[in-house]
Amino acid sequence: MSDKPTACVRIADDLLAAAIGEASPDASQRVDRHLATCGSCRREFQGFRALDGTVAALREEPLAGETVVQARERLEVSLADLRTRLLAYRVFPSPLGHILIARSELGISLVEYLDRGTSLRASRLGHEMGVELIEGGADLEAVYRELLEYLSGRRRRLEWPLDLRLARSEFQRSVLQATAAVPYGAVISYAGIAQEVGKASAARAVAQALRWNPLPIVIPCHRVIGTSGALTGYAGSKIGYKERLLAIEGVPLARESGTPQVQSGAMYVLSPGEQEYCVPTCPSIGKHPRTLLTRFGSREDAEAAGFIPCTSCRPDLHPISH
Amino acid sequence: MVSNRVMSQGAFDAVVSAHHEEIYRYLRRVVGPAGDAEDLSQETFLRAYRAYGALPKDANVRAWLFAIATNLAKNHFRAESRRCRAYGEVQVAARGAEAAPEGALASRETARLLDGIVGRLPLKQRLAFTQRKIHGLDYEEIGQSLGCSAESARAHVFQALRKIRRGLDGHGLLPGGPPQ
Repeated sequence: MSDKPTACVRIADDLLAAAIGEASPDASQRVDRHLATCGSCRREFQGFRALDGTVAALREEPLAGETVVQARERLEVSLADLRTRLLAYRVFPSPLGHILIARSELGISLVEYLDRGTSLRASRLGHEMGVELIEGGADLEAVYRELLEYLSGRRRRLEWPLDLRLARSEFQRSVLQATAAVPYGAVISYAGIAQEVGKASAARAVAQALRWNPLPIVIPCHRVIGTSGALTGYAGSKIGYKERLLAIEGVPLARESGTPQVQSGAMYVLSPGEQEYCVPTCPSIGKHPRTLLTRFGSREDAEAAGFIPCTSCRPDLHPISH
Repeated sequence: MVSNRVMSQGAFDAVVSAHHEEIYRYLRRVVGPAGDAEDLSQETFLRAYRAYGALPKDANVRAWLFAIATNLAKNHFRAESRRCRAYGEVQVAARGAEAAPEGALASRETARLLDGIVGRLPLKQRLAFTQRKIHGLDYEEIGQSLGCSAESARAHVFQALRKIRRGLDGHGLLPGGPPQ
């Protein structure tokens, strides 16, 4: 048991705090008053103050230089490896069922409709080799909010940085890039995309590449349809989603024999390489194969994509009546 | 456009550049051998990288890194102590003469002594002392990394200072005699 006077015991913590510069003004005054009358506490105060100075000198102590450099170099190597493998993901509810969104450091790498539950086992991510998965946080919520805005028709663009490394081949990557350029509210045929990627006869391969689109919605494969106007297919067997997405964008649809069909005849037309869009009866579009035409549901969408009305057929003066 | 700092490749590089050396120094001081400090500092940043995207924008990144490093240091000592028990080894102080600093300190002997004493402090006191007195974290931040209140963190630092003073005093290095 301490034989220190009670006053010294009571002031001990304040004294130490004052010696190392952490006491409040009140505590400092109490310590000053006590030190004026207590020689042993004065010595103790001086001892702690000297200790604080000694300890402070350690802050300036240099490390053996090579150890920290080596540690940093090793960290950079491990970090580079992790960066190539790490994906953060979250599963969100949406009007199109549960959707998994994953991102890497490069950008969004997967948007996946989950129709077999909400766990990773229901996702293709569960089978991707060499990928390290972590649950994502608020950053993916921001992506999700934009997606919901898009699905409710309040947003036309999803300008996310994209990471296409989950594409299965260079060909698929080029198909995805060409599809990403199809504007909001427009449709083009599989053959049109095949032409875009320089493989005019590869319409079926394009359809297959888009079937495994790792980034549906944001890479708008729903805007790619059959030459006849048939929706053809979407993300396996989710043609109903394709119909909804096109409807959100104002693409005119009708059902023929129970099957949804884009009403190409009721859409404005853009020929390959042109800057002017036309009504479908414009003579100038006859020189191009129908498969290569891009069609817009509205003049607004065509003009938002940067195109101007044709000076021959004047869609601005003679719009299509729906 | 989604604002996402993880999507900008440079963001985490800046974190590494700003904090790696300090975290390494912290771990070097609290765990001792350079190899262990290197492993633990690497793990600190790999864990931080995994979680960085989910970190709130206004988070205190430095304190957060200290908290990760502190957790890893605690786990390291737990595993060490299990290993020592399993093999019947005697656990030695984390730091001794071999880890003595080079250079700027006025008295190398004092520094060496100080290191030895700090290395023998109970773990929480050693962690709290190093965070406060070497790296200047506040008690709130130290409490978060140790899983205790700011008051407890302060008490750990004060206990550490009293023990260090007692340890140094026998060598006549400080005025005033031992703490009473």
